[in-house]
Amino acid sequence: MAENRFSRSGILSAFSRFVPFFGRDPLVAADQVTDRALVAVIAILTFLAALTACAAQLTAATAMRWQVMMASEVTVQLKPQAGRSIDADIVRASDILRGTGGITSVKVLRREESAKLLEPWLGSASSIESLPIPRLITVQIDTHQPPDLNLVGRALADAVPGASLDDHRTWTKRLGHLSNLFLTASFGALLLVVLTTGLTIVFATRGAMAGNREIIEVLHFIGADDHYIAGQFQSHFAVLGVRGGLLGGGAALLLVLTLKLSILIPDGLQFSGLSEMSILDWQTVCATFGVIALVGIVAGLASRITVYRTIGMLA
Amino acid sequence: MANQLWCSNGIEVSFNPHYALTTLKKVEGSLQAFPYRSAGELVRFENVGLRYGVGAETLTDVSFSIEPQSFQFLTGASGTGKTTLLRLIMQALKPTRGTVVLFGQDTSLLEKDGLTALRRRMGIVFQDFRLLDHLTTYENVALPLKVQGRDEVTYRAEVTELLNWVGLGELIHAKPPILSGGEKQRASIARALVAQPELLLADEPTGNVDPSLARRLLRLFVEMNRSGTAILIATHDLGLMDQIEGARRLILADRRLYVEASDG
Repeated sequence: MAENRFSRSGILSAFSRFVPFFGRDPLVAADQVTDRALVAVIAILTFLAALTACAAQLTAATAMRWQVMMASEVTVQLKPQAGRSIDADIVRASDILRGTGGITSVKVLRREESAKLLEPWLGSASSIESLPIPRLITVQIDTHQPPDLNLVGRALADAVPGASLDDHRTWTKRLGHLSNLFLTASFGALLLVVLTTGLTIVFATRGAMAGNREIIEVLHFIGADDHYIAGQFQSHFAVLGVRGGLLGGGAALLLVLTLKLSILIPDGLQFSGLSEMSILDWQTVCATFGVIALVGIVAGLASRITVYRTIGMLA
Repeated sequence: MANQLWCSNGIEVSFNPHYALTTLKKVEGSLQAFPYRSAGELVRFENVGLRYGVGAETLTDVSFSIEPQSFQFLTGASGTGKTTLLRLIMQALKPTRGTVVLFGQDTSLLEKDGLTALRRRMGIVFQDFRLLDHLTTYENVALPLKVQGRDEVTYRAEVTELLNWVGLGELIHAKPPILSGGEKQRASIARALVAQPELLLADEPTGNVDPSLARRLLRLFVEMNRSGTAILIATHDLGLMDQIEGARRLILADRRLYVEASDG
């Protein structure tokens, strides 16, 4: 019986040399109640941090996708001019566009389609038929070899009075700003959560060290150095950190998965802007596991720093 | 493998040179401390004084030394500072004045790493055992070797043999809360001996056990002394001290230490 135990411990002992977290016989006595409470707190903090990271990642990815979509399309607007045939102007503008390199397709929106776009502001299409509404041409651009849009705009304005080219630059810029703002706020929230986790670990380590004061003293007297003792506490709290992190991160990942499914499936994967989104992309998984790893590292480091600071006082 | 030896006092011992452990088999007559003396001192106190806070000194002008492989008792009435003196040797306390030299090194000049190295040359038996309740007897005893970073494979047999030697072979998986006072004391002694220290400090090691067990524990110390470890036992039990011939007595009284010459 003893042999089996030792064989098993031998394997674990060898394993623990490479992965100290899983070392056998931890010298820091596990306090079931405190440890569970700490794991629960870390799990909640990690859940919030992972959700924030996932939301930031999703926002950044969606903003990027929208920016690419906007950058690959420009709109030419032709305002009706007195004494000029707008249909002739449309043909002329279309010809100029089709003759320009870097443009992959030119689509003229019919008058009804233009009217439909104005429907939210001006009412039903039939009532605005008599109004001189502008006409639109949507132009797809080869993003690898884009044309000089300033030149195209000037050429259109010269050839067709009342024609203007909208490259969505303003929208792209605003979207970029909004996305950056959200990312910064998310990063700040993430930092706060990690900081809170660190402080929680600091207090927990201090409490554990005060509770294990006798063990620390005995370890000193039997020849353990500060590095060894600090390593024991660090391993203990890093394990709790990773355990809480995995629980919280796993829960966040499940929630993100559920939210994505609830958005994508009822709309038949047609929800605007999210249609190209996969159910669980690698970025989301990376963000979540990144937070879990960060929480584990912060837990271990906070514990180690606290142990070194406290150990002198206890000694 | 083990060499059979017959000692002058009638104790038959078998000595295993590999583990440097001796096994007591038969006892007749009184025990005798190892008479060997060498030049290098393990401990030297020179005019050491210790004061807690701003009051009078607890220990005053304490001067003595401990030779390698010597056997001595530290005695005195309760509250005279036996434990305090032991704590000064184990560097749990710093003297208010005077010089403490351990293994030839002035402790006032020691860095932390140096202190750890010195402590690894000492074994300590605490009055209240100080076993870690969440570890098994085996793990408690093996702790000094584990903290030195040794692989369990290299000390498993050694620890098991030591546990058998102190009569705890059947309790290696038991945890301290279920051990009796005597068993805890033996586990504590085994832990102090496992790293084969040059100096063993024991604070009232027989204070919690009956006279019969006290005598058996004393034999353990004698055998360890025979294998080369200097022993310092703090006790107020005169009967216990009378059982060892040739042991020096360090007597604490009136805050001072009086050294009684050994007759061995």
